[in-house]
Amino acid sequence: MTINYGGWAGKILWVNLTTNEIWTESTENYLDYLGGSGIGYKILWDHHVDGQLGTDPENVIVYSVGPLTGSGAICSGRMTVTSRSPAVPGHLITDGHIGGHIGPELKYAGYDALAVVGAASEPVWISIADDKVSIESASGIWGKGIFDSLAAITKAMGAASQCFAIGQAGENLVPMSGFMCPGGHAAGGHGAVMGSKNLKGVGILGTGTCKINATRDEMRDLDDHILGIIGSNNNNVVPSTPQSWTEYYSSGSRWKARDEITWGAADEPVELGEVAWDERNRIGYRCSMAEMYVGVEYTNKWLKRMGGCHACPIRCYCELKVPELKSRFNFKTEYYTNTCGGFIWGNYLMPTTSGTEEYALTATVGGYLRDDYGIFSGYGLTHHMFKDMKKADLFKNLLSAEEYADVPWELWDNNEPEFLVDLYPRIAFPDNYAHENILGRMMGDPATYIDVLKLDGTNPAIDNWNIYAESGVHLFNRSMKHALHHASECAGQVGSLINVIFNRDPMCHSHINIVNAGLPHDLIAEICAEQFGEGAFDPVKAYTPINEAKVKFAKWCIVKNMLHDSLTICNWVFPLVTSPDVNKNYRGDTTIEAQMYSLITGDEVTEAELDTMAERTVQLHRAFTALEMNSTNLRTDHDVLSDWVYDINPDLAFGDAGTIKMDRDDMQTALTMFYEAWGWDSETGIPTRATLESFGLGYAADKLESKGLLPG
Amino acid sequence: MITRRGMLKGSMGVAVGTVYSGTLISFLTGCNSDNNDTTKDNTGNGDSVTVTPGGLMVVNPILCVGCRRCEAACGWNHEGDVGPVISRVKVAHNMNYGPLGVQADYYEQCGDAGNFACVPQTCHQCNVCMEVCPQGAISVNETTGARVVDESLCVGCGYCADKCPQQTIKVVKSKMKSVKCDLCGGDPNCAQVCATGAIKFYTWDEAEEALEIYNNYTGLVE
Repeated sequence: MTINYGGWAGKILWVNLTTNEIWTESTENYLDYLGGSGIGYKILWDHHVDGQLGTDPENVIVYSVGPLTGSGAICSGRMTVTSRSPAVPGHLITDGHIGGHIGPELKYAGYDALAVVGAASEPVWISIADDKVSIESASGIWGKGIFDSLAAITKAMGAASQCFAIGQAGENLVPMSGFMCPGGHAAGGHGAVMGSKNLKGVGILGTGTCKINATRDEMRDLDDHILGIIGSNNNNVVPSTPQSWTEYYSSGSRWKARDEITWGAADEPVELGEVAWDERNRIGYRCSMAEMYVGVEYTNKWLKRMGGCHACPIRCYCELKVPELKSRFNFKTEYYTNTCGGFIWGNYLMPTTSGTEEYALTATVGGYLRDDYGIFSGYGLTHHMFKDMKKADLFKNLLSAEEYADVPWELWDNNEPEFLVDLYPRIAFPDNYAHENILGRMMGDPATYIDVLKLDGTNPAIDNWNIYAESGVHLFNRSMKHALHHASECAGQVGSLINVIFNRDPMCHSHINIVNAGLPHDLIAEICAEQFGEGAFDPVKAYTPINEAKVKFAKWCIVKNMLHDSLTICNWVFPLVTSPDVNKNYRGDTTIEAQMYSLITGDEVTEAELDTMAERTVQLHRAFTALEMNSTNLRTDHDVLSDWVYDINPDLAFGDAGTIKMDRDDMQTALTMFYEAWGWDSETGIPTRATLESFGLGYAADKLESKGLLPG
Repeated sequence: MITRRGMLKGSMGVAVGTVYSGTLISFLTGCNSDNNDTTKDNTGNGDSVTVTPGGLMVVNPILCVGCRRCEAACGWNHEGDVGPVISRVKVAHNMNYGPLGVQADYYEQCGDAGNFACVPQTCHQCNVCMEVCPQGAISVNETTGARVVDESLCVGCGYCADKCPQQTIKVVKSKMKSVKCDLCGGDPNCAQVCATGAIKFYTWDEAEEALEIYNNYTGLVE
């Protein structure tokens, strides 16, 4: 059956690397799941086997896009990867997301998803040139870093192609690994899944189109409407400094363009000046946020231009020319690009001081090495772990004498970025050492080594140091051993609830796009009250007890996150709840996603209808988590926070000004209210049959019931 | 041997027709916006833009950020859909590894995998495609000076694509017709949506300097 409306390519490509079989199925089976994450979760559910590991050959990995990707709609250049993840306990299902231009290329080649199953007997990469799909030998690139691998695949596919590849970390089955595209775009958590399949990468060349149902004028009108509302990265809608056109400013804003900022490494330096919200042809200059990563001085020396994803005018990637990468570190290039996570984790690992040359070099050297090896940090979890453990001087009691003597600690003590040059190979090549390489293995597999090393307060050799009590480690979900990612520190219970239910760090920016808009607190609180009810948004570090509005806010954020990961568009820019336009009273438009979907597909939907489709995948995700964990109680088995969340700032109580401390009883009340808002059993946090059936997920209820996991 | 400069010079003589000169409101800071200040041009400097016949679109690789919004808007306007093949401005081909593709020292060359200079290819509105077309399907639009394809005459033989110095005219296999930049009839969508003002319409008087900057990025980096 042919899908006769826009946006969709209509086919899902399957490759079995064990049998070398290649086939397609219709996307029609997945339309109710919107695309992206929705397709991924449905395929994984359909192929579930109890106890399967992410690295088992029959585990499926799904790379998928939604109906908006490739359409040219603003910020629609995303692709989702879904599979069981070796980076989380029990290898539960997770989804990661990548920008750049790979997602649109998959669409132009004629596919809404690529699903790979099986394992090749020798290293391979998959070549997709429209309907010509083949499995190619990767023997010539196995063992190479990501940058050279991408070049080799592109050389074989043609200059106009797009590709992605794993580095040595994925090849060596390091759980904390990912894959990457040219331009610094990466997805983390599934590199070892690819490595276990002997799958080095995928090259795609698409000569087709993304069908658009709407007319040019309708697409341009919506584009222009969005340009009147959109802010900067994380939807910061005010500039970072006072400017002539703006009523408000916020120092934390990523709207960085101003007189002092120059793309100084451009062949003719580009002085940015002010970029007002209504300058449509200068919006790409707004987000010159390199100063967040390397400071103003090195921005003006090193920043060549901004980069980013397909169809996105908010350029959040910093393209840097750093001569020291060659002259001091002997890298073959002086160019490096990435965005937030690519730059900052090196500085979280080292004892650096913001604004210094060492800080700037740590950011770029660390980013380059991590990217080339294909190492994933779990939102900085590994780096925070290392730094706190080093500061607590634990390693001399955790490593063998031989290994301890092998680590150049003095480089860290002296704040020399060369320490990273030594450290990252320990992670990417865990078996290449004469000693056990506990340090590298821990950073490549913290979910396992937290238990192996007894970092839970039960190891007398390290004075019962407890990783769950250390706020500096940022380990937030104790059960899933994943890092805090915009949780209690920025939106109290709202952020905490968002951080509870995912199996990895949530990668949810729905709330950040409101909380960090840069508008005054009272104005944001007013907008939040309109959206979610009174009391939805507390002042930071002045939290009040849980209430219905906060629960509604948290649920809404997760639904929007899944919506964006399914459509597939950027959750670091959408939803647009606020705007920089005083004439709009700083209000945004949360119906834009539905407007885009309706125009492109021709399938008219309201915001509520679209949200319901996204919630279907959230519900499936939750049922899947119970199934994979074989859990009858996710409250006790999954939704458990680290002790530091409740015990930080011992001299202050929950609710006192100045602390992000949460309250144990209040959090349990919040969980109960949260479960009820989703239609989950209020005691166990597992979806009820009635809820699952209301989303067309009766098959999931049947499965849970057959395993004795369905509540009631 | 045909050179870009030679074609540029030569094409000036052909670019005749009714002189079109005026301010393009839709070439300003966006179209149909209830927020627009339509006194600003696409550089945000407040000047109006005059389009004369026979001009061309040129990208400044220093400013191009590789978002491909130009490519999408071109697709919306001409074919209703989006894809690099149907787009008249070609971004993808040079985006990751520069105009010469993957080189041994790719990390020093242009592109997202190199020195970050993004070098989209645009139609220079020369005469090559028009001159080689055996069907006489390509002619000059007298209003804009653009070389345009008459799809009723085009048979998709691909001679034009083979000979195009900029590699911008392409045969779309789904309809077996050549597609090329027609300056949107004087209403260039690519420039209207450009996030940095990197792609602009240049009159012949202005084009040489812009092309000189552009051409600095089309060869190997020394």
